[in-house]
Amino acid sequence: MKKFYLAYGLLVVSMLAFGEYRGWSFERVNEVKNVPKSVRDNPGSYRSVYAVYHHYTGGK
Amino acid sequence: MSVVCGNCHAILDASNENLAIFQRFKGKTDKAKPLIPLGSRGKWRGAVYDVIGFQRRTGNADGESFSWNEYVLFNAAKGFRYFTEYNGHWNDATPATALPEEQAFGTKYLGKTYKHFQTVTVATAFVLGEFPWQVRVGEQVRVADYIAPPYVLSSEKNANEVTWTLGEYVHGKDIWKAFSLSGEPPKPTGIFENQPSPARVSMGEVWTAFALFFCLILAILTVNESFAQKLQVFFDSYRFQQTAGTEASFVTPIFELKGRTSSVEFKTYASVENQWLYLNYALINADNGQAYDFGREISYYSGSDSDGPWTEGSHFDSVLLPSIPSGRYYVRVEPESEARFGPIAYQLTITRDVPNYDLYMAAIGALFAPAILISWRTFNFEQLRWAESDHPR
Amino acid sequence: MTQPAMLCPNCGAPVLFRWSSSIQTTCEHCRSILVRTDVNLELVGQVADLPLDSSLIQIGTEGIYQNRPFTVAGRIIYSYSQGNWNEWHIVFTDGTSAWLSDAQSRYGLTFRIQNERVPRETDISVGKTFHFQDIDFTVTAITRAHYRGVQGELPFQYWDKDVATFADLLSATNKFATLDYADGEAVLYLGELVEFDSLHLRNLIGTNGQGGKSARLELPRLRRCHRPASIWANRVGGLRKLPRHSGRQQ
Repeated sequence: MKKFYLAYGLLVVSMLAFGEYRGWSFERVNEVKNVPKSVRDNPGSYRSVYAVYHHYTGGK
Repeated sequence: MSVVCGNCHAILDASNENLAIFQRFKGKTDKAKPLIPLGSRGKWRGAVYDVIGFQRRTGNADGESFSWNEYVLFNAAKGFRYFTEYNGHWNDATPATALPEEQAFGTKYLGKTYKHFQTVTVATAFVLGEFPWQVRVGEQVRVADYIAPPYVLSSEKNANEVTWTLGEYVHGKDIWKAFSLSGEPPKPTGIFENQPSPARVSMGEVWTAFALFFCLILAILTVNESFAQKLQVFFDSYRFQQTAGTEASFVTPIFELKGRTSSVEFKTYASVENQWLYLNYALINADNGQAYDFGREISYYSGSDSDGPWTEGSHFDSVLLPSIPSGRYYVRVEPESEARFGPIAYQLTITRDVPNYDLYMAAIGALFAPAILISWRTFNFEQLRWAESDHPR
Repeated sequence: MTQPAMLCPNCGAPVLFRWSSSIQTTCEHCRSILVRTDVNLELVGQVADLPLDSSLIQIGTEGIYQNRPFTVAGRIIYSYSQGNWNEWHIVFTDGTSAWLSDAQSRYGLTFRIQNERVPRETDISVGKTFHFQDIDFTVTAITRAHYRGVQGELPFQYWDKDVATFADLLSATNKFATLDYADGEAVLYLGELVEFDSLHLRNLIGTNGQGGKSARLELPRLRRCHRPASIWANRVGGLRKLPRHSGRQQ
């Protein structure tokens, strides 16, 4: 029993030290990836065909 | 009355001398049957011992009489040793090699202190086989037991002699195995004087370990406090008025979070008076678009009623974001409130690499809980142990 | 085992009873059940049996104590109300005498001490402490005993069979002392308790338990049942229906 408590205590303390170092916290934070930088940065804003034609081909 | 021999089927009648011997012997030995048959041989503590004697002794404590059994073991080179058994609890006892010193706080023997458990006058009720001295039924001695679990130091005194033995608590199954006995050893009931605590750790040891861990945690806290950046990377003040229909969100300028991946503290102050303000924050990495999205509410109410003035809530809110990598960041803020509140002023302070004090509390709690549990179990066990003694707690 | 060897009346093989009051055993050779007739059944359950003298030491045994070799030269057997013990007279190579007390496998080696103040017989009681050679000794046993027998060479010529007082004293270490009041004036012997193995004894008796004087002087007579059996016979109210049997028994 003594060994269990000592091992357990060491585990808790190591996790504390590591957690403080890495900045752990209990907060639930939603991580969202690829937030667009501006309104121009959207899925419909770029078309791969634009890379081929280096001149205006019509359309708005 | 005739009897049939169980094996050879010879009919023995009452005048048969063999039968007479068996029957008289049975009559004399029926009173107490040794659980370890006399003549058993086994390997114990590195030597071969024969069980050659058995005794049953009776004592009186608090008006209640109790009995226990003793077995004599013999090895020609090692000498004598004894097994005692009471309610399924076994002890392996050998004569003491030096005289224990009886002192005020306990009896000292070979560097260990033993606490007085019980003193009782005992008499031999039945004896069979050989003893190192010629035990007789009715023989009385005054026995005093001193314990240091799993050991017990026992003195036996009569007018002419005092002898000391040191006993060690052992398990019946180990004896049964060593002496190749059939069946099962008797099941122990209750807690015996020198029975080791199941936790096998004393309260002193547990709390010493806890104190050590606590000091370790304090050390980590000290290091943490001195090395954490606690760098304020952003501060601004705003005014917000909830209006219907308008898009209230805005973004802050870009700021930098430096150093290793660590925590980020968002501290908000709002001058709410009987109002509430909800802020939907997102900390967004300007380079890779990674966002950390969360919401905070700040409210403060105050008033007065029959019990006097009261307050509820706070003007401040603080939240720690976990493990944010370094980089260039900005914050998108989306405030929300009630139009009827009018304009609310609020401020946001962002600090990089702040120690998480909740984590320290959690660690201390995680260490405290098992220590309490073990202490509780040990305490209960010890209460039961000492309940049987001359000094119940 | 501390029992005298006996012979099976059927086949003559040596037989051992596994414990002192055991009244039956099985001959390992012919499987006869053997019954002992000399066990005093009045005492069974009431009084323990005295262990036979099972000492492994004999005259001529050699050993080493504190790097000094010694030989066992003589022996005194003391007898008291509850048993016996041996005092072996040992002699070191330089001629010094000492005593090896052998009481149910507890051994103490002591030397006679002359220049200490010794208490009178009337002054000693169990639990009292005395000071010899800067060590505190407490009286742990006072025994009234007499000489039962002697063997070999002893450092004195005369002994008598009257009862005398002997006291054992123990200390907080393994130091051990005895006070001998046999001659009226107390004689102090001082030494220590020793482990059997620490003496490195050679020329011991073999462990067939035939050392020294036997407490029981008669060899028991044995009877046998016809075939090996469980001892406790089945009780029947009358005669059991059995195959015709000549009922051979002794």
